[in-house]
Amino acid sequence: MPTMTYLQAISDAMREEMRADERVFLMGEDIGVFGGAFKATDGFIDEFGADRVMDTPLAESGIVGTAIGAAVEGMRPIAEMQFADFISCGFDQLVNVAGKMYYRQGLSVNITVRLPSGGGFSGGPFHSQNPEAWFMHSPGLKVVAPSTAEDAKGLLIKAVRDPNPVVFLEHKHLYRRVKGDVAEGVYETPFSARIAREGTDLTVIAYGAMVHTALEATANLDGASVEVLDLRSLVPLDEEAILASVRKTSKVVIVDEANQTCAAGAQVAALIAEKAWEDLDGPVVRVATPDVPIPFSPTLEQSVLPQVDDVKEACRELIEY
Amino acid sequence: MSSSSTELSVDVSMPQMGVSVVEGTVVEWKKQVGDWVEADEIIASISTDKIDTDVESPATGRVQEILVEVGATVEVGTVMARVATNAKPGEAHASENDSASTDGTSEASAALEAAGDAGELQGDTAETHAGTAQRGSPEVRRSGPRRYSPVVMRIAAEHGLDLEQVEGTGRGGRVRKQDVMAFLENGGGAAAAGEPPMHIESPYKPDAPAAPRKPKSRLGRAEPAPAAAEAAPAGMPAGESGPLSRMRQSIGQHMLHSLQTSATCTTIVEADVSRVAALRARSGFTFLPYIARAAIETLHEYPALNATLEGETFTTYDGVHLGIAVSLGTGGLIVPVIRDAQELSVEGLAARIKDLARRARDNRLSPDEVRGGSFTITNPGGYGSLIATPVINQPQVAILDTEAVVKRPVVVTDELGDDSIAIRHMTYLCMSWDHRALDGALAAQYLSSLRKKLEGWPI
Repeated sequence: MPTMTYLQAISDAMREEMRADERVFLMGEDIGVFGGAFKATDGFIDEFGADRVMDTPLAESGIVGTAIGAAVEGMRPIAEMQFADFISCGFDQLVNVAGKMYYRQGLSVNITVRLPSGGGFSGGPFHSQNPEAWFMHSPGLKVVAPSTAEDAKGLLIKAVRDPNPVVFLEHKHLYRRVKGDVAEGVYETPFSARIAREGTDLTVIAYGAMVHTALEATANLDGASVEVLDLRSLVPLDEEAILASVRKTSKVVIVDEANQTCAAGAQVAALIAEKAWEDLDGPVVRVATPDVPIPFSPTLEQSVLPQVDDVKEACRELIEY
Repeated sequence: MSSSSTELSVDVSMPQMGVSVVEGTVVEWKKQVGDWVEADEIIASISTDKIDTDVESPATGRVQEILVEVGATVEVGTVMARVATNAKPGEAHASENDSASTDGTSEASAALEAAGDAGELQGDTAETHAGTAQRGSPEVRRSGPRRYSPVVMRIAAEHGLDLEQVEGTGRGGRVRKQDVMAFLENGGGAAAAGEPPMHIESPYKPDAPAAPRKPKSRLGRAEPAPAAAEAAPAGMPAGESGPLSRMRQSIGQHMLHSLQTSATCTTIVEADVSRVAALRARSGFTFLPYIARAAIETLHEYPALNATLEGETFTTYDGVHLGIAVSLGTGGLIVPVIRDAQELSVEGLAARIKDLARRARDNRLSPDEVRGGSFTITNPGGYGSLIATPVINQPQVAILDTEAVVKRPVVVTDELGDDSIAIRHMTYLCMSWDHRALDGALAAQYLSSLRKKLEGWPI
């Protein structure tokens, strides 16, 4: 089984799926000749041609809208936003058109929108955001966020095949930092949570890059047995996996790289309060980015994004509680 | 008390309210120990099984002591309080002087009073001061009952544990899940199971069944066990709870007793009360005195409905002792009785009903005025209801319910036998009756006769 980086796994997913299904094609800014801002589609134009690897104008609304039209005609487009932050320009097409098409007209909008998201590399306020909660709040969209190379490939293939519009959040900071064994060919990873590490004393719930922060923070936490739950999918949210883990450990820390208010972790916290109240042995603790833009300054950025030490401290406090 | 060596005081006793009342319950003390009270000023509210009323102070003076707590029930004549008559208004008594130095809670209130004395701090500012005073003495909070997490309370309830026996290893001695599990593993549960747990913090009752887990329930917690529901207030909508008032408890017992005792049936007929509607437009009365008058008249034809059934004893009455249900708003309702109502005209009935309703709402009925009825009328129709199935006022055998009068298109037949559609004042006459005492045919006959009287007014 080959070892791939998170980014290579994403490229591999698109390549394998394009080879397997001629309805799959790519749209995005500079994804063709240039191979994409992060080189996710490097060499694709040579293998699949400009018809299936389409360079677009700098117009996210147009990219998403065109993808929707193609999907209604039976295609399976994968649209790349150069940075997740730019999806705000395509927000109306995604939220109001793609998300509600099936409800209004019974038409499937089989599109996948790739959102290179997240911070941690001094990208500043326009290139570091985690906008997943916007889409969790919009009925009709699925929202997934892999943390490993293996899941990045499997979830992206699953997203391409899902008949609904799927927002695929790929964390830029993981692109070349995370490596792993990735199966060849095509396979699907279900839109459900994964236990990244089993434990009994405390559960840390996270997704995307924060899964790695959580694993590192709790790898050696004064001998405590800490379970780390990788959500993988935010919509649908794997309620059973969350509740099962809470019933086991009775203590929960939820980590979000996104801004705190109404983040995915807020929904998880609400779920636990509603459905696992009688299993709680302490307050539900959240670690998240405060409600501020992400700073350029590396020092400031580190001070707002959840760090390993922040998660460690939160876990220690809750275990002792 | 004051420095005076001569102690003069007057007793405040539970009053005799009518011949049938033997005991009363203190609902509220309007005056507290140390308060100045004038003769005939209300000193307490009391409640009997019939009515609620006020107790007036028999003398002017200072309340010296209160002997009966709120909620306690005592016999008529019991001394409830004493009023010192040799005190002077405005003269502080001993316990007032003491309170500042001995009252354990007074630190914050002293700060508040000081703030008030300064004459400047008000509203939010004063509250801030109170908060500061409380924060200054955290040991008070520490000495309070321990608080437990939901999972600890659930496990304790499932195993009948007394959590006070569990040693906590969490922050500040907090009992954690692992502490309870360790306690159980060491046989703590078995030892504690024999004796009733002394629950201080937990609302679980010792005999509550273990809360069954129902993952399908929306809140993911046990639903059927009421104790478990209490334990999860966070899942409940916001609101207030408190004990039912004495009157509500009394009404509840009475109504439940009726339903458990009698074989209650309800019969309904529709009546055209257009003639009465025309009359009452001139008289200014409500429909009630007219219907009452007709109902009394009809009871003479069907005496089996003007009756009581107690056990095996069925009693019919010569006179109609008519109960009229009077709503007291959210507080409840009361049914004063018009004795020998057959002797009253429509005008007389209207005056008596008005008088009784006013005095009922002022809590000024005597207990003898709310007993001894032989037939009852209730009239919620004023609030717009169309049909109801009233509960019989035990030990009576029937209750007539008068409902809203509404205009409807109905078929009317003239003297030549020709039908036409006309707009008439229509109402439903609903009567609940006790199938132990009579049968449906009689109830229907009674209501039909009543309908004819109303439709053919004057009687």
